[in-house]
Amino acid sequence: MEETLSQMFISLDFWAAAQVVLLGFIGGTLSGFIGSGGAFFMTPGMMNLGVNGVVAVASNITHKFGKAMMGSKKHGEMGNVDRKLGVFLVLTSFLGIRLAVWINSRLFHMSGDSHGAAKGAAANLYISAVFVSVLSLVAISMLRDALRSRGAQGGSTPSRKLSQFLGRLRLYPLISFPVADVKVSLWILLLVGLATGYLAGTIGVGGFIGVPAMIYVFGVPTTVAAGTELYLAMFMGAFGALNYAYEGYVDIRLTLLLYLGSLLGLYLGVYGTKVVREVMIRIVTGVIILLCVASRGIAIPMYLRQLGWLSLDPSWDTYLNGASKVMLFASGITGAGIILFNVFRAYRQRSRVRASLAAVATA
Amino acid sequence: MQLICVSRGSFSAGKELAEKLAKKLDYPCLGREELIEEATRSGIPVGKLETAMIKPHQFTERLAREKAHFRAFMTKALCERALQGNLVYHGRTGHLLLPGVENIFRIRVIADMEYRIRSVMQRLRLDRDKSRQYIESVEEDRARWVREFYGVHWDEASQYDVILNTSQINLDNASAALCSMAQLPEFQLTPASRRALGDLLLGARVRLALAEDPRTADLEVKVRSDQRHITVTYLPQQRKAAELIPEVLKGLEGVEDFTCTPATTNVLWIEEQYSPDSESFHQVVEVASKWGAAVELLRFLPEDGPEVSPAEEEFVEQGADASALFSPPKSGSSAYNGGIEDDEPEGRPAEDDGGLAAATRELTRIGIAGGSRIIRGTQQKMLAMLDRTVPYSLLVVGSVFRSKGHAAQTRLTRELMSSLEEQLKAPAVSPQDLKAYLFTRRQLGQLIACLVATAILFWLVMTHQEPILRFLTPSGIPFKILAAVVLALFVSAFAYLYGTATSLFLKWLKFE
Repeated sequence: MEETLSQMFISLDFWAAAQVVLLGFIGGTLSGFIGSGGAFFMTPGMMNLGVNGVVAVASNITHKFGKAMMGSKKHGEMGNVDRKLGVFLVLTSFLGIRLAVWINSRLFHMSGDSHGAAKGAAANLYISAVFVSVLSLVAISMLRDALRSRGAQGGSTPSRKLSQFLGRLRLYPLISFPVADVKVSLWILLLVGLATGYLAGTIGVGGFIGVPAMIYVFGVPTTVAAGTELYLAMFMGAFGALNYAYEGYVDIRLTLLLYLGSLLGLYLGVYGTKVVREVMIRIVTGVIILLCVASRGIAIPMYLRQLGWLSLDPSWDTYLNGASKVMLFASGITGAGIILFNVFRAYRQRSRVRASLAAVATA
Repeated sequence: MQLICVSRGSFSAGKELAEKLAKKLDYPCLGREELIEEATRSGIPVGKLETAMIKPHQFTERLAREKAHFRAFMTKALCERALQGNLVYHGRTGHLLLPGVENIFRIRVIADMEYRIRSVMQRLRLDRDKSRQYIESVEEDRARWVREFYGVHWDEASQYDVILNTSQINLDNASAALCSMAQLPEFQLTPASRRALGDLLLGARVRLALAEDPRTADLEVKVRSDQRHITVTYLPQQRKAAELIPEVLKGLEGVEDFTCTPATTNVLWIEEQYSPDSESFHQVVEVASKWGAAVELLRFLPEDGPEVSPAEEEFVEQGADASALFSPPKSGSSAYNGGIEDDEPEGRPAEDDGGLAAATRELTRIGIAGGSRIIRGTQQKMLAMLDRTVPYSLLVVGSVFRSKGHAAQTRLTRELMSSLEEQLKAPAVSPQDLKAYLFTRRQLGQLIACLVATAILFWLVMTHQEPILRFLTPSGIPFKILAAVVLALFVSAFAYLYGTATSLFLKWLKFE
């Protein structure tokens, strides 16, 4: 590969490609199961393979666009998409994405030769820092919510305190969304759209803000939140993809390899949500995200050293990167393993029931 | 025998009007509040349920079970009183508790905002603005409650026979007008209405018995009673606890025979003639088995279609006495045969039931029976008799309006399908369309084509990595735009092709 290209994109051999497919499969399974993202696993996973942070985000957001297109088509058929809500959020999310792309591009070009820094170290550090801070919050709230509801008799639904409080404030103009059956202040809508777009553009996981915001801040039912988020993700993905593609950061090979694993995993993950208890879904999700956060956190000293902000023996890079990689794969594989175990167990049970029904019918 | 349901708009003097009407007609008067008190005394957390229903999306699994329990309680109480003689009931759209019962006189009482504000200011000693806010908030809560409980909008005028504005007419005159309307034959309960009430009562008793027995209290069940045959559907994962259902139902008054079916969802199949040997039957069974669904059969006989068999008319007459509805089986009545023919009097030759009994028997044998019934009349009547709260996943509309010409049959069927979709919020398909839910040869072809196309695109990218990456990292604005657009189009095409292939592959494996 040409030098300019090789600086930007990694060289792919069979094993690297297989690892990307595996990342896609695990990310897709987690994404189908959790209902949002999957990028929290795929983006750092690709970074651990040596892919530049900005290329990993760009390739992932491009992949997310097609995946969301297929997912929202399916949710739309089931009536889980509030298109009006999606349109309102998407307009401001474009601003958020544009802001994120601009910051990422600036940081990517900022770092370079001084202090022996690798190109993209500043962008990598920035992406990792946002990733760790935002997803720690999400995972901890999710686990707290799940553990509380575990003790509640007969399960529990997400807390509505915040949406009710904001509803009482009556920040006009209020907009009514008939599918989701909620009324939301325009200002809160714009704010959430902006935050979702920014995070989608920065770390590729806008869904981790979009879905909880729709559930907790707007009071939207969980299924409609997941469906609308995918609808939103389709537009955000397309916009993000166009922006990053314009800047030349999308590695189409990685995007296609991610698809190979993720779409299959996505369908299996969705199947899993029907056969696993909701509290268990939230616990598994929370733990997986926390482990991913820890994995990214381990890599941060490496970027600090590359920028010359931390004095560390460069030979440690290998260990830090290795540890981060092992942790990420361990968390993803364990999470996906639990999901797939339940999926195949349920599938086998159903096959047995079908077989016994068929035996009765032919007797 | 008459049943009058007054739906009270908030602060519109609906209660006073209902009481005056009952007094004029010399009928007993029953208010929703009395039933709520009884329900609370029996241990149903009505207050908690009300709060959960008016605050959106706060339902836990336990509250959903309590809601079904509460609904059964209200249905039982209302049916019992209605079957004892005449009744005026006032509350929130009480007639919706009784789907399938015709000739109920349904009255809605409303009033102008000004009238209601004055009423609240007097009653609650609030100022004008607070009174208005209070009315709006109560109104919103009740509308939400009706929507959650019955799946309808309570201000939909077609729900009622008469809508009265009490700020335009005084209560004496209003009750006199209603009194004379109540004499109309359209508002007298017929034997068929009483039979429907009896079925609802029996179903509600069964649901209550299951809710009150600690062994089955946690089960998520749907109970349907058709001509004294009970169908209970439960979630497949609750199979163990569901084994106790027969024990709970044994000896319950009025229960003669029943079917228990594991089902995650319901498929409603509407036909005029059923045949267990037909291709449609096999396709419906295949789709239902794949989805873990129970199949509910509805034989629809349009107004000028085939007549209802004399056996059914006979049963309607027997139903005239409420106690007869729960009488022990008559001598000579055979074991369960679909819930249809067992009502046939001894000695009468078998009537054509359009294959309903045979189809129900076959579904019961396979283990996916979800109940069966016959509805005769207009399309509107059939729609009014369906319970909107049953979660159907699919509505299959077969050959109906058979007495019409081909064009009229097609048009009427299409209209019926769109009304059903609108009312039951589920896709309505013809038996021919069921193929879309099954893996067909055409889909196999589509799978192969998508896989081949995906492989070609993938091969092209992987064998031309360098030129493609160079094309995607150009300099100059026009080239950058071109690269971005080409990439977006290529990626969507790849996602569509591979996504379709994956989805079809999993469908082939029955992984849905």
